[in-house]
Amino acid sequence: MIVTFPHMGTLSIVLKSLFSQLGCQVLVPPPMTRHTMELGTQFSPETVCLPFKMTLGNFMEALEQGADTIVTCGGCGPCRLGYYAAVQQKILAERGYRFTMIAIEPNLIHVYKQLKYFAPQKSWREIYHAFRLAGAKMNLLDDIQRELAVIRPREMKSGSAERVWRQTVTAVDLAESCQSVQAIRAELLEKLQAIELAQGVSPLRVAVVGEIYVMLEPFINQNLEQCLAGMGVETSKTMLLSDYVRGHLLRRRSYVEMFKQLSAMAAPYLGHYVGGHGLKSIAYTILKKQQDYDGIIQVYPFTCMPEVIAKNILPKVSQDVDMPVLTLAYDEQTGEAGIRTRLEAFVDLLRYRSKPAAARV
Amino acid sequence: MRIRVGVPQALMYYQYGPVLERFLTGLGAEVVLSGETSRQTLDCGSVLDEMCLPSKVCFGHVCYLQDKVDYLFLPRIISVSQGQYTCPKIIGMSDVLKHNVGKLPPLIDIHVNMRQKSWQLYQAIVSVGRLFGQGMAASLCAWVRAWQYRVRTQPQVLTLDGRPRVAVVGHPYILYDRQVSLDVLGRLDKLGIQVLTPEMVRPGEVNKAAATLEKRLFWSGGHTTAGAALALMLGNQPLNGIIFVTCFACGPDAFVGEIIRQQAQRLDIPCMQLSLDEHTAEAGVVTRLEAFTDMIKRRRRL
Ligand code: SF4
Repeated sequence: MIVTFPHMGTLSIVLKSLFSQLGCQVLVPPPMTRHTMELGTQFSPETVCLPFKMTLGNFMEALEQGADTIVTCGGCGPCRLGYYAAVQQKILAERGYRFTMIAIEPNLIHVYKQLKYFAPQKSWREIYHAFRLAGAKMNLLDDIQRELAVIRPREMKSGSAERVWRQTVTAVDLAESCQSVQAIRAELLEKLQAIELAQGVSPLRVAVVGEIYVMLEPFINQNLEQCLAGMGVETSKTMLLSDYVRGHLLRRRSYVEMFKQLSAMAAPYLGHYVGGHGLKSIAYTILKKQQDYDGIIQVYPFTCMPEVIAKNILPKVSQDVDMPVLTLAYDEQTGEAGIRTRLEAFVDLLRYRSKPAAARV
Repeated sequence: MRIRVGVPQALMYYQYGPVLERFLTGLGAEVVLSGETSRQTLDCGSVLDEMCLPSKVCFGHVCYLQDKVDYLFLPRIISVSQGQYTCPKIIGMSDVLKHNVGKLPPLIDIHVNMRQKSWQLYQAIVSVGRLFGQGMAASLCAWVRAWQYRVRTQPQVLTLDGRPRVAVVGHPYILYDRQVSLDVLGRLDKLGIQVLTPEMVRPGEVNKAAATLEKRLFWSGGHTTAGAALALMLGNQPLNGIIFVTCFACGPDAFVGEIIRQQAQRLDIPCMQLSLDEHTAEAGVVTRLEAFTDMIKRRRRL
C-alpha cells in the first residue's frame, strides 16, 4: 500500500508524518505546477470549483508515480467538497487507474474505523503517538506562519522571513519525535528574533476571509501574503489548518463557542449556515472592524456556492460597518497580473483611508 | 381587508407553489403571484454577481412584487428531507434578496429544516398560521387540505407512442420556466419527440436508482434529478437520448451532469448538456436541439 493525499498548503507535511508513523509507505504528490492544473482541468466537469480540479490533478500525478491508495476527505454538504471523492473516484477509474480511495468523513468515529485499515498492526499507543507528532508539526507550522505574517511587512532585508519559513518547512518535515519538534520550535523562535525589523513603521492590517483551500494554498492564491507584504501590508488569515482541525474535526469547545459568536454576529446579514465558510466571511468582516483592521480580502474558488452568497451580501456589510472589502475569485485562468493590479488599487484605497482626514487630498 | 401575501413564481414555487398558494388562502390571506418570468425579470435579476440563473430569476420576481404586497412569502427552505439540504443558494436566498433589493415589505422567512427532524415542518406551518391569527389546529388543517391537492395532481407515466423518446432532466424551475428553458420541452415536442421528465418517475424509483450511486447526493434537487435520470436510463422502456438542462453557475449540477454523462456513456445513450444563462441565444439552442434530434432519428433507423 502506497498512500497519497491532496495538497493544501502545509497539509502534506502533516499527513506524510501521520501515515508514515502509522507504518504506511507514503508518496507525496509532486508539487503543484501548471501541469497539475491542466491535468485536473482536462478531466473535471467544466463548472466545478478549482480545488476539485487541483486535487484531481494531484491524484493523477501521484498515481502515475506509483501511489495506489488515495486518502481524501468526505463530508455531508451543503458545500460540494463533501461529494468530491465520489465523483473523482469515478473519473479516475474511467481513465483506467487502479487504486483504492478512502474518503474520511469528518467525525471521529469514522476516523477511528479507518485507522484499523491503515495501521492493522499498530497498538493504540503507537497510533496515539503518530497523531501527536502530526499534531505537533501542524501546530508548529501554523505558529511560525502567524509570527512570520507580522514580521514580513516589517523586515529590513527583504527575504529574511521567507528564508526562515523555508527552513521551518524542511526541519519540521524531517522531525521524528515530539521532542525534536520542541527543539526545532526553540531554534526557530530564536531565528525569528534575529530578523531585523524596521523601526517606527505601522503597516496596514488586512484580514483574509473566505474559502480555506484558496486561503491556504500559495500556488492558488499566488502568494497572496507575500505579495501584500511586499506592498507593506500585514495579512492575517482567519483560518489556518490547525484551526480547521480543532474546530471542524475535534470540535473543541472554544471553537464551537467562537462559531456561535460569529453566527450571532452575522445573523442580521445571513441568518443560517450555508456550508463552507460563507457565514464566517461575513462575521469576520464585522469582527475585524472591531479589532481595528484596515480592510478585508475575501478569497474563494470561482463558483464556490457559500462564498458567492457571502459575496452578494458583503457590499451591504462593508457599507454598514465602514470596512473596505476586496473580493478575489480564483479559477484556472486567473492571471497573476490581474490580481496584483487589484491588490495595488485596494491597498492604495486603504492607505488613503488611513490618513487623518486633514491630510487627505 | 385581507392581508396580501406575495409569492414569487421562482425556485421552489415549481414544486410546492400550488400547495403553498392553497395553504395561504386557507389561512385567510390573499395570494399575489408574480406571474411568469419575462425578459424584464431576467434583466432585473442580473445585478446579482456570479449567482445562478434561477436565483437571478427569483430576484426579478421579488422586485416585481416588492411594492404590491403587505408580506413577501420567502420561507428559508433549508432541507426537505432527512440528511439532505436544498442548496446553499436556496438557503441563503432570502438574505441575498434582503440586502440587494432596495425596499422590501416584511418577509415571511420562517425556516423549514427537515434535515434531522421531519416534524420541524409542522412547527413552521404553525408559526406561519400564527402570523395570520390562526391557531394550531386551523393551520395544520389548512396545510393538510392543501397537501391533498398535490397528491391528486401527480402526473401520469407515458406509454410508448412510436416517437423517439428523449428524457429531459433538470431542476423544475429551469425546465418548466419557459423563459429560462427557452421552452426546450415544447420545442422537442414539435420536433417529433416524446419527452420524458423527472416528474414522470415515481419517487420510489428515483430513490432506488439514486441508491446505485457511490454516495448519496446531499442536495435534494440533485438527488431527484440524478435519480430520475438514472431511473429513466436504466428503466425497461427504451430511451433514445437524454438532455440535461442546467445553468452555468449551478453548483450541484456540475456533479449531477457528470453522473449523468458517465451513466449515459456506459449505456451508450446519446447525451447532451444544455447550459443556460440570461445571455443564451435562442437560435443557438434551437440549432443544437435540431442537430440532436436528427442524430437520434438517424440512429433509430440504423
Ligand atoms: S441547485 Fe443550482 S440552480 Fe438551484 S439554486 Fe442551487 S445553484 Fe441555483
